[in-house]
Amino acid sequence: MTAGAFLQSGLLPEGLNVSFKLAPAVLVVAMLALFLGIGYAFRVADTEEMWVAGRSIGNVENGMAIGANWMSAASYLGMAALIALSGFYGLAFVVGWSAGYFILLIFLAAQMRRFGKYTAPDFVGDRFNSDAARAIAAVTTFLIGFVYAIGQARGMGLVGLYIFGDVGIPGLSGYQSMVVLMMAITVGYLTLSGMMGATKNMAVQYVILIVAFLVGLYAVGLSQGYSTALPQIEYGAMIGSLSSEFSEPFVNESYYLWIATAFSLVVGTCGLPHVLVRFYTVENERTARWSTVWGLFFICLLYLSAPAFAAFGTDLYSRNIGAVYGDPGMTSAAGDVIVVLATQLAELPEWFVGLVAAGGIAAAIATVSGLFIAGSSAISHDIYANIVNEDASQRRQVLVGRASIVALGVVTTLAALDPAAPIAALVSYAFSLAGAVLFPMFFLGLWWENTNRQGALAGMTTGLIVWTVPMINEVLPTYVGSGEPYSATLAAAVPAIGSALIAVPVVFAVTIGVSLVTDEPDMETKRLVRQCHSPEPMTRMQSAEDVAATDGGEPGDD
Amino acid sequence: MVDGEGGDASTETDGGTVTGAARNHRDTNYLEREVNLLNPSTPFMRDHLRVVWTGFVAWALVVFGPVTLTFVAPGPMTARMPVLGFPLHYFLVAIGAPGGALVLSFWYARKRDRLDEKYGIEHGRGPGTAAGDGSAVAADGGADE
Repeated sequence: MTAGAFLQSGLLPEGLNVSFKLAPAVLVVAMLALFLGIGYAFRVADTEEMWVAGRSIGNVENGMAIGANWMSAASYLGMAALIALSGFYGLAFVVGWSAGYFILLIFLAAQMRRFGKYTAPDFVGDRFNSDAARAIAAVTTFLIGFVYAIGQARGMGLVGLYIFGDVGIPGLSGYQSMVVLMMAITVGYLTLSGMMGATKNMAVQYVILIVAFLVGLYAVGLSQGYSTALPQIEYGAMIGSLSSEFSEPFVNESYYLWIATAFSLVVGTCGLPHVLVRFYTVENERTARWSTVWGLFFICLLYLSAPAFAAFGTDLYSRNIGAVYGDPGMTSAAGDVIVVLATQLAELPEWFVGLVAAGGIAAAIATVSGLFIAGSSAISHDIYANIVNEDASQRRQVLVGRASIVALGVVTTLAALDPAAPIAALVSYAFSLAGAVLFPMFFLGLWWENTNRQGALAGMTTGLIVWTVPMINEVLPTYVGSGEPYSATLAAAVPAIGSALIAVPVVFAVTIGVSLVTDEPDMETKRLVRQCHSPEPMTRMQSAEDVAATDGGEPGDD
Repeated sequence: MVDGEGGDASTETDGGTVTGAARNHRDTNYLEREVNLLNPSTPFMRDHLRVVWTGFVAWALVVFGPVTLTFVAPGPMTARMPVLGFPLHYFLVAIGAPGGALVLSFWYARKRDRLDEKYGIEHGRGPGTAAGDGSAVAADGGADE
């Protein structure tokens, strides 16, 4: 990956004004207070509400929640960073992270809603009648939350530097101190509010982050004379004046890596547990479909703007600081804050730059919320309540859930102190994992009723292995070795960032093959799958299991 | 196309507005029909999968087409577009692919609603709650559509 090798714990974005600034600090504190206030107003105690917000969320609101939950620091900061640093390759992220929603919509969204279970591990466990499968899915969910959140912590740490400067925790660099501070805030906020608060917050968070991003883009474009009414289109005219690295195809990375990355991000989108949980929160399957369309619309607002921001930032950087490409070129730390850096270099007022930075923090907190909730429910609901202690009281489950949120926060913080790669790349590792392990289970589980327990177990294990090998090959060395992959050949053939391109076909083949040579699943399971595809409407609180167990689908029953 | 499983003509008691597809839908027990992506077993599934696969092919072309063309024929694909000034490949990938996915999503959701219409299926609280199970505790309703 781009320039991952020489990153050190003292990450410092060159050109960024690192100092304590009052107005932006007040803005961030006010924003967090608002989140906490809303979280408090919608505080909950019982588990049904905590996990799926009582299934009471409608189209547009759920669309916004999908958007906020989705758009993390990787979208807000990391995408523009990769477009600026890696040129045309960066567009693989724009494409993969948006186009995946269509696949989710046509193959999974409504069926998942009809299945009607709380979490991704619940789906896997119930569909394949296996606690082992549930446990693998739960561990995967936890792992995804962890890997994904490292990127968010890096983003918050870098952006926080602009706002709070070096807070100087002894023994830590300025960047590291900021990571610790921001993660402490995030975890504190999360333990105080359950998902009801989080979902209400998500609509607010979406509005804050999209306004901050677009206002920032328009202000930079207008003040520098780059654009007027439609920067999302107007930046095209200035591409010719930027270095050729910005737009020339396949100079930084190969065509194969482009396709592998985009494919991984697409299937990862369809396999991410914290995305799927959004479909359980809606009233019916039609709402699940339309809120996906709305969600994609809200996402596109930012995704069509990010390349424009990258183009403006690249131009400002080369005029004010130095050459973007070549040696030394722009560091990945500066790249990751290019959105904030561009507004600062455009000499916009301090509070305004602070607003753009605050948007990045809102994006990171919103996504970490969703991830940690999915991760902690995997632990408390799927592993603790279903396997370890079946008589656990609700109170105890909530307690275990909160403890696992804190645990996730601590390991994420530790891993983010010396991160292995830029934000978007870190996040893509989580996508490869979701695409390799969970997506095939969701897809085959819903679309082929003969997929059975043995097939699922074999498939998920295979997926985990195919994901882990390139991670050890490429990412482990950045923590413990020279930074170079152990095997360059393997890194080229199965890149960690796009390993799902190899994993998905292999996992499909293994799952289907093993399912064919072992016994078919029982009739009850088949009826469950059939109920997910029946066009017969279901009531709000029904799950496929309820209907399949009775004769709810008999003709003339309506 | 229409398979007669249990669907005899004497069920026509409820007015002429019911289409053949809707009647067929009422006569189908979806819990007894196999689910297999490659082998749809009900008329509804067949119609639905036609939409799904059409969308999928269009999506694959919109998303991976331009990149592949750029790889195959970099010359013409990187030419500057008139008026907009974009290199063609950059425009098709940065704007065409996400925009295309959005348009296709809208198209699919509309198509799927039409299918519901064709088969006489209504969503929403009214008809859907016919089973009347006691679990409908959350009558407070969230914000709706």
